[in-house]
Amino acid sequence: MDLLNPYNLQVITFIVLNGILAISIYITLMTGQLSLGHAGFMSIGAYTASILTKQADLPLFAALLLGALAAGLIALLIGAPTLKLHGLYLAIATLGFGEVVRVIMLNMEITNGALGLTGLKSIGNTLYEWQKAIGVSAQSVGVSVMQMKALLTLFFLVLLFAVILFLTLRLNRSRIGRAFEAIKADETAAKAMGLQISYYKMLAFIIGSVLAGFCGGLFAHITTTVTPDDFNYHKVVEILSFAVIGGSEIVWGPLFGALLLTSLPELLRSLAEYKMIMYGAIMVLVMAFRPHGLIAADTFQKLFRRRSKQASAAKKEEF
Amino acid sequence: MNKKRFSQLLATCLLGTTILAGCGGGASTSTPAPAGGGEAQQSAGGEITAKIGVVSFLSGTGAAYGEAQKAGLELALAELNEANKGKLKIELQMEDSGGKKESAINAVNKLINQDNVVAIIGPTLSGEMFAAGPVANEAETPIFGISNTAEGINDIGEYVFRNSLPESIAIPTAMKAAQEKKGFKKAAFIYAANDDFSVSGFKTMKATAEQMGLENLGEATFSNGDVDFSAQLTKIKELNPDVLLVSALYKEGSLVVKKARELGITATIIGGNGFNNPQVFEIAGDAAEGLIVATPFSPEKQDEKVQTFVKAFEAKYGKKPDQFAAQAYDGLYIIAQSLLAAGKADRNALRDQLAQLKDFQGVSGKLSFDEKRTPVGEAVVVEVKGGKFVPF
Repeated sequence: MDLLNPYNLQVITFIVLNGILAISIYITLMTGQLSLGHAGFMSIGAYTASILTKQADLPLFAALLLGALAAGLIALLIGAPTLKLHGLYLAIATLGFGEVVRVIMLNMEITNGALGLTGLKSIGNTLYEWQKAIGVSAQSVGVSVMQMKALLTLFFLVLLFAVILFLTLRLNRSRIGRAFEAIKADETAAKAMGLQISYYKMLAFIIGSVLAGFCGGLFAHITTTVTPDDFNYHKVVEILSFAVIGGSEIVWGPLFGALLLTSLPELLRSLAEYKMIMYGAIMVLVMAFRPHGLIAADTFQKLFRRRSKQASAAKKEEF
Repeated sequence: MNKKRFSQLLATCLLGTTILAGCGGGASTSTPAPAGGGEAQQSAGGEITAKIGVVSFLSGTGAAYGEAQKAGLELALAELNEANKGKLKIELQMEDSGGKKESAINAVNKLINQDNVVAIIGPTLSGEMFAAGPVANEAETPIFGISNTAEGINDIGEYVFRNSLPESIAIPTAMKAAQEKKGFKKAAFIYAANDDFSVSGFKTMKATAEQMGLENLGEATFSNGDVDFSAQLTKIKELNPDVLLVSALYKEGSLVVKKARELGITATIIGGNGFNNPQVFEIAGDAAEGLIVATPFSPEKQDEKVQTFVKAFEAKYGKKPDQFAAQAYDGLYIIAQSLLAAGKADRNALRDQLAQLKDFQGVSGKLSFDEKRTPVGEAVVVEVKGGKFVPF
């Protein structure tokens, strides 16, 4: 296994991208809201960013940010009426929203309908042009151009991911994060404590949607094409499974889910026809033995406690 | 307690959406085809060994296409390795894309960088090609589409080829041949608006109709997965067209044809490439009679090469080959021929040879590439008569 192989870099890139997506679903879940509209917001972000880079020739990074903002704006409009709903009702409403977005994208002139937009600028190419502009070429680093582009894309994504993860961890420990937690645990009790429930729910919904929109833009500019069908039910299920398989209590759960669910299909590639059977079997086993997801809030604590117990036991023996 | 209920809710929703997704997709079951022979050959001196990657839609909703392609490729592989013993040995490395772009990109990346293939055949869908083609092109590896008919595939780059005739060639051939015989003047259209293949076909139909001076009476749309088309077709019946142009995949297309005849539409019906499937007769039944389709391949074509292929295919798989199998079969033959001409398993040498392809005589007709690597070939126009396609 050559780590610099563009294939491995590509797979890791998708893992990191899905990691950001996992954070986006995690933040929405933090207040206990089950939103299935993430694929819809991704779609909005992807199309906005793609149209801006393709038709309006805007710089890639400005377009990515505007795409995320557009998703946030729509979330604001959609959130107002739907966030009054609870549980399954909210899930169905947001699922409907995702479908509406898909059908709109299918029927608009500017999105090129079912054919979608193709030939978008790739993140790797854009970054490589910058790099060449400052006088560093792939040869001077000692890798091929393809590797360099894959590496640059990956570095860029890892950087973004690190920033987003850092902010999420900070959010967790802030006043807002604790409010989210309180609302998830018991809405009525949180209200009694004087928390503005609708405000915090809206906030979580919008942060999640902005991140999903951002991921959509990234996705479009990594694969260089975008079609309405990229953001259908299957995508919703995929995003949701990050949280279901990984666990939704702490941020590491969905992240682990994203890592597992993105790398498994690639690791199982050698099984060819039996790939999906194995994939399904692993999912069933996880759900049977870890119904709250692989990583729960106390998983790390248990691990560390056992280790510290062992350590103290070892110390005793020494005496 | 609350925590538990929440995760139960999560799981319920996941299950629910999966079921919904299953409904929308119209899942099709796939049975693994028997593994192709011709693997255990000793390599002798002077023999070129070439590893060719295949990216195909082998699992999921479009697995029927992937299976047909796989069957065509494996038949060609066995024949080629037998015929070119001592000169060329081809190995195929199959990868599944599941019809997903990310998966197609990963598969192409893996084949190029990990398996070091000399060329790639596939991916199945045009959308996948638009995502994976640039990757192969950048890595200077020839990528050969065997089922991508959308416009713009060849513009991806110098290393991108295809032997699947674009719809812009097949459809006008059918429409012109049909007009000569039937002399229609007023046209109506119906197509699946949520499918890139059907929309692309419809655009070609509309442009051709304008060129031919047909009067456009109206256009109707539906979605893939629809089963009821009475509203659209009733509207079309009122317009009273001479010819109805249908651009759809076989499942919906056949249902449209059936319903149209049920409602008493007597116009000539011309279909796009999507109708090239034996399933059409099963779904539409007698209503399919008179349906006109342009196809690069027809198993009924009275041509020695075609008949040999059909017999070999039937002997191996127990069914008639469709267009996807035929184009896959031809695709591997073209690559083998170019590899022999290049004299070595080298990506750039192979590309140069492929670009020079002239008058290749395959089971799906004669094929050449023009200077932009666009396939130039002839389409066969077929008409349904007595429950099968016969040359028009």
